[in-house]
Amino acid sequence: MRFLFSRLVHGIFLLIGISVLAFLLFALAPGDYVSEIRLNPQISPETLVALRHQYGFDDSIAVRYAHWLGAALHGDFGFSFAYNVPVTRLLGDRVANTLLLTLPATLLAWLVAIPIGVISAAKQNRWEDRAVSLGNTTLLITPDLLISLSFLWFALRTGYFPVGSMTSLGYEEMRWPEKLKDIALHAAIPITVLVLSIVPVLIRHIRATMVETLQSPFVRAARAHGIPRGRLLFRHVFPAALNPLISLLGLSIANLLGAALITEIVMSWPGLGPLLLESVLARDLYVVIGAVLVSTLLLQAGVFISDLLLFASDPRIRTKSAG
Amino acid sequence: MCALKLKVRSILGLGVIALQLACAWAIVPPQPVRPGEELALSTAQSGKYGGRLAIALRSEPKTFNPVTLVDGSSREITGRLNADLIHINRATQNTEPALAKSWKVSKDGLRYTLQLRRGVRFSDGAPFDADDVVFSFAVYLDEKLHSPQRDLLVVGDKPIAVTKVDAYTVAFQLAQPYAAAERIFDNIAILPRHLLLKTYEQGKIGEAWSISAIASEMAGLGPFRLKEYLPGQRATIERNPYYWKIDKEKKRLPYLDEITFLFVPSEDAQVIRFQSGETDLISRMSADNYAVLERDQQARAFHMNDLGPGLEYNFLFFNLNSVLPKGAGSVAAKQDWFRKVEFRRAISAAIDRDSITKLVYRGRATSLVTHVNPANKLWLNPNVRLAPRSADKAREMLRTAGFSWKQDGTLVSASGAPVEFSILTSSSNAQRSQIATIIQDDLKQIGIKAQVVPLEFRSLLDRVFQTHEYEAAVLGLGGGDVDPNPQMNVWLSTGSNHLWNLGENKPATPWEAEIDGLMKQQLSTLKVPARKRLYDRVQQLVADNLPIICLASPNILVGAKNKVGNFNPSILDPYVLWNADELFLQ
Repeated sequence: MRFLFSRLVHGIFLLIGISVLAFLLFALAPGDYVSEIRLNPQISPETLVALRHQYGFDDSIAVRYAHWLGAALHGDFGFSFAYNVPVTRLLGDRVANTLLLTLPATLLAWLVAIPIGVISAAKQNRWEDRAVSLGNTTLLITPDLLISLSFLWFALRTGYFPVGSMTSLGYEEMRWPEKLKDIALHAAIPITVLVLSIVPVLIRHIRATMVETLQSPFVRAARAHGIPRGRLLFRHVFPAALNPLISLLGLSIANLLGAALITEIVMSWPGLGPLLLESVLARDLYVVIGAVLVSTLLLQAGVFISDLLLFASDPRIRTKSAG
Repeated sequence: MCALKLKVRSILGLGVIALQLACAWAIVPPQPVRPGEELALSTAQSGKYGGRLAIALRSEPKTFNPVTLVDGSSREITGRLNADLIHINRATQNTEPALAKSWKVSKDGLRYTLQLRRGVRFSDGAPFDADDVVFSFAVYLDEKLHSPQRDLLVVGDKPIAVTKVDAYTVAFQLAQPYAAAERIFDNIAILPRHLLLKTYEQGKIGEAWSISAIASEMAGLGPFRLKEYLPGQRATIERNPYYWKIDKEKKRLPYLDEITFLFVPSEDAQVIRFQSGETDLISRMSADNYAVLERDQQARAFHMNDLGPGLEYNFLFFNLNSVLPKGAGSVAAKQDWFRKVEFRRAISAAIDRDSITKLVYRGRATSLVTHVNPANKLWLNPNVRLAPRSADKAREMLRTAGFSWKQDGTLVSASGAPVEFSILTSSSNAQRSQIATIIQDDLKQIGIKAQVVPLEFRSLLDRVFQTHEYEAAVLGLGGGDVDPNPQMNVWLSTGSNHLWNLGENKPATPWEAEIDGLMKQQLSTLKVPARKRLYDRVQQLVADNLPIICLASPNILVGAKNKVGNFNPSILDPYVLWNADELFLQ
């Protein structure tokens, strides 16, 4: 209980800190939402002045932050200047779409990384390990953007996959199984790109932890007792190496969120990424703050889940926390 | 018994939901023409009903509210949902009757009396009359709403007075004669009073018809009505069954069942979507992408069109602002050069505009001498001609202005300072960055060291409009219309887009004073030939004094699948969908 409470307090302070930082960075950035409207020769200077006043650009950043924080405490995270709708409404659908990519991608990445990392550790310095290492290095040095564009080119040339968006035209007329298939087809490339962006890091960590654990005295003892290799690796060594990997889960979600922003933009996936980019360029302050806070929340949720798993899996942590 | 009732209810409930869904996705047929309807006749080729057209937009619409919209994507969609009283035909560039079937102008040019079409209905079936017009203009002119359209409706510092004469006649009283006043009405959407009056009275019209609005609670007089909006993905509009235009065979337009706007944030991704067949039309692309698509057009059953130069003009300009920020001493020192007209002429003479059009736009652009390009046939002054590029002539002008060269070829001012300055450009606009680099190279040949500084677009605008911390910049301006009036804010010395010297209380130079006078005079001159003479003189003054050094106007490049009938793109915005009501699928 105390653990949950401390996590909650920590999370609230982090959110406030991030919001202050985001506001300050925005204050330092030149230009504001009406800057681009100025280029429209049909809009008079009086209208621009009125718009600036309406959006509160005449107030200092401290006053604007105080107003925003006061409203946010009542659940109002501000209005989008561009869309003229509450930020929460704008972000709701996008968060769900981003999670539709990142959750399966996280799951798949771990499912792929665990056996490869374990085998790579078990076959240390042999051709299997070297092949995995080569693949990993290649993926690590290839920018996510290039991977996305290569898959797009593949989709365009073969026609096997759609070249963007989340659903096809005519999606609404489809029946449920067709709808699921349609979304799965659209998500296939972005999820693959996300998996490829995170898998090398996971494999390296799993391999390193496994190699370290394999050198433990209990493994030598287990080998001496004649426990079969596969059973030894997955039933004894892997659980023992689990703690650092569970901590990595939270960080892998952060990594994925970062990668998802780029992938969503390239693949026209209607998630947080395109909205965040558009809002930053348009200086749509409250949308940016909202999107940043949502990303922080998702990251915190990932870290929190990994903490809970750690708490459940390691009796030492439970004892320390109780003490 | 009770359980059975519940089951029956849930089955019935499911049935109703299924029926509603089926209705939501059913195709809306056009309503038969009724006696007494005063419909407009389309002169385009008669087409056939049916089908869905898809086109990509660079960004999402921000609103469906015509009162508050400022962005291009919202305009592109709402333009198809609404109609205006008098419309600019994008093909002829002239005005034509729309919801107003005819109009009369008083002899003094101050009163416009418009006759409205009878029997016209909004997309929800409600009748349209003069009350809707009076209501719409009251909303646009409401100061509290800050509608961008309001500025168009203020003539001689006074808002246009709109009065209902009878149910189908409306009078517009202007404070002073206004040239081409009919053009003001273009794109001023007529709003449904029956749906929005209450919202307006509650002071909430600015929030109405946002992207989260329910489609069935909206109505307009355009050829289509909103069907569905999926955030981040697409918006679909469907046929307005009551639309007020018919074809030669007396069939009610539009032909298309639906148009879907896909939100595709990058130009390259839009090209891929067009190549893959997901979209049927494409517009606004670079010459590089045009070349890629041109190679593919035979194999993939689409065709590309180069419409020639559009209304956008790109230019170089110097910071001539009289008020500079503290610490901008270096800019102030360089302004001595920038203010010399010989210096600006020398820069203009040194720039190789042909290289810009060839290298940056692959030849799909036109070199410019002023802001009016050859596409604007009505207003171009043919006597203002671009002199061929000449580095020798540029050197001669600089020598006359008191500049000289050091042994190593560096140009120095009369005080011996080397002539060097920075050119700001938008980092997100590859073409303008390339233009700045070509200028840098051209100026090097006459001993000037120019540094290209790409900046994020809003940062660039902040420097130009707010802080004035810049020496020179490359920018582009466009125009929604060929008429000179939308350019008032650029050329009046008090204008908000008088980029080179913002916030002037009075003209800084005699030629700017003359331009002020000419622009104001043409605004209230009703005879077109007389206006043309005045605007010709403005172009001559711009070419002589070069407050902006015009460079190039890119061509409008568009494409469409071969199956799209009545495809008749225009150089005026919206380039490919301006006649959406006449488009059909073969």
